[in-house]
Amino acid sequence: MESVQPKIYQLMSNVFEIPIEEISEESSIDSIPSWDSIRHLNLILAIEEEFGISIPDEEVGNLVNYKLIELTINEQLGKH
Amino acid sequence: MDNLKYSEILQQNKVLKEKIKGEPFKVSILSNVTVNSFKEIAEYSLRLNGINPAVEIGNFDNIVQDSANCKDANMVIIFYDMLNVADNITVFFEDMDDAAIQQVVQKIYTEIDLIFRNLADTPAVIFNKFSSLLFPTGFIQSTKLEQFVTNLNAYLEKKAPRNVSLGDINKIIAKLGTRQSFDARFYNSSKAPYTLSFFKEYISVLEPVVFRITGKLKKAIIFDCDNTLWKGIIGEDGMTKIDMSPTSAYGKVFFEVQRIAKYLSKNGVIIGICSKNNPEDVEEVLANHPDMLLKNEDIVIKKINWTDKATNLREIAKELNIGIDSLVFIDDSSFEINLIKEQLPEIVTLQVPTAIYEYPAGVLNYVYKYFDLNSNEEDKKRTEAYKQEFQRQDESAKFQTIDEYLASLEIQLEIIKDDNSQIPRISQLTQKTNQFNLTTIRYTESQVEKFMKEDNSYVFSASVRDKFGDSGLTAVCIITENEATSATVDTLLMSCRVIGRNIETFFMDHILNFLKEKGYDIVYAKYIPTAKNPQVESFYEKMGFSVDKTENGVKYYSLQAEDYQGKKIGYIKAAAVQYN
Repeated sequence: MESVQPKIYQLMSNVFEIPIEEISEESSIDSIPSWDSIRHLNLILAIEEEFGISIPDEEVGNLVNYKLIELTINEQLGKH
Repeated sequence: MDNLKYSEILQQNKVLKEKIKGEPFKVSILSNVTVNSFKEIAEYSLRLNGINPAVEIGNFDNIVQDSANCKDANMVIIFYDMLNVADNITVFFEDMDDAAIQQVVQKIYTEIDLIFRNLADTPAVIFNKFSSLLFPTGFIQSTKLEQFVTNLNAYLEKKAPRNVSLGDINKIIAKLGTRQSFDARFYNSSKAPYTLSFFKEYISVLEPVVFRITGKLKKAIIFDCDNTLWKGIIGEDGMTKIDMSPTSAYGKVFFEVQRIAKYLSKNGVIIGICSKNNPEDVEEVLANHPDMLLKNEDIVIKKINWTDKATNLREIAKELNIGIDSLVFIDDSSFEINLIKEQLPEIVTLQVPTAIYEYPAGVLNYVYKYFDLNSNEEDKKRTEAYKQEFQRQDESAKFQTIDEYLASLEIQLEIIKDDNSQIPRISQLTQKTNQFNLTTIRYTESQVEKFMKEDNSYVFSASVRDKFGDSGLTAVCIITENEATSATVDTLLMSCRVIGRNIETFFMDHILNFLKEKGYDIVYAKYIPTAKNPQVESFYEKMGFSVDKTENGVKYYSLQAEDYQGKKIGYIKAAAVQYN
């Protein structure tokens, strides 16, 4: 499967308004100051639109770092 | 929206931001639901139209109060959503009796009046009509809520002044479908009902309003002739073979377009012709073809010659003395359309579609997007009368009526000190509250519990309700004692759901009086600035504190208890006070 990493980095850079170089596999809600609840919502919407997936309600609140985001996207993509 | 994805819009915004400068066009979005993802979409659309946007989202569910504070906005958009109206009622909507419904109706009427009055001087206000489409209903049954929505919309129609446009979101929902418009999941978790698709469509239907206030509306439609006003080529087919007959399958499409053009000519749109033909051939059709509906009297300007169309359109604009960007050009030839797009990109073009049956609708879509037809004399007179009525209200009267309105809500506060059962909610509020939060210190449940237990600290809470519902525990204040004679406000916060009703003043007044009675001489407080809390940077000044010093943006205050005069908020009552 094609790596989803570049797309996720781009989404995070766009939504949080930070340079893409500042995003890494270690990025999380604690390391990005602009990651607030409103932008979290916007991030989820952007991910769903970009990958054509729907993130289950119970997962939405959990996607608080890069690794969890990647894992969930791959999980959802794998279902198709 | 060019079918851009949200993330691409964000990215484009960054690029366009650097290019589009100039006087910012201020847009305030007031809403009783969460619409934050609309901000970037609206900014992008405005930038695409060469406008430098300054879009602001108001406080959550605070439309009336916010409407008094956006006087310098060029445009105000109001999402007064039925979803949240129904949520805020204590019982299931269908369970209300007529009297209860009437009470809610009256409340919303009052709010609509206030909103219109507060925004009387705003150049453009878009108020979305109420919608029941997102509520389950039957095919043959109808609900009380549907009738309620019908009544509210009738009231809006009756009262909307000239500067207010009523937006019909049902048309967007009809186009996209409820599943594409509404996200029940995010409505449930964040009160954010609308999808990105909805917002993209919303901003696109809003463009005519933006064009109107920024002077970008079009004034003229210039038609080619052959295969544009009729089927066929007059120079080759001749009078008998060209077709715009209402009774032939092809012809009736062109007949319909001519009907539209004739209607437009009577409603202030300049209709012109720009065609490569022998002038006498076209004149013959105009004068003598039995199916030709458009006549010379409907057509303001004609360029029928063999010169290139870019030159002709420039001439047309010059002779009509209007900007070249005020023209819409319709032609069947991709060659002509591309030539104009290239040479005169400021002209909006429409190529007659190959699927010819889509042609009339294509023309009409342009009409509703680029022209403003809703202004007959009677309309103007009626709305002028409204405007005068609103202008008679001076500033002080406006605020007085807001107080009257707040009084009508019968707001009650229940103030409780050190109640263990509230620990989880209080801790949660310290964790979550960003805007109305003076120090933004986060506490765990055990920390809150400690403040409650110890003798030299107090935890106050305020629960708010009015005659329409209960907002629950929404304000918190933590006081710590320094020594026997002085105390410090460690934390003061309030949920943004109840901002704008002076609840904070009433709450703080109560606490200051408590401290005074307890025998404290001095009360200390501080404001720690964050990105989210500038709205409270002067709160303590308003309460009568004086600034002792400012260090790294942090303001340190003190108040001599004996100097404290007390602040009375007449329209709020203390429902209960309980000290544990």
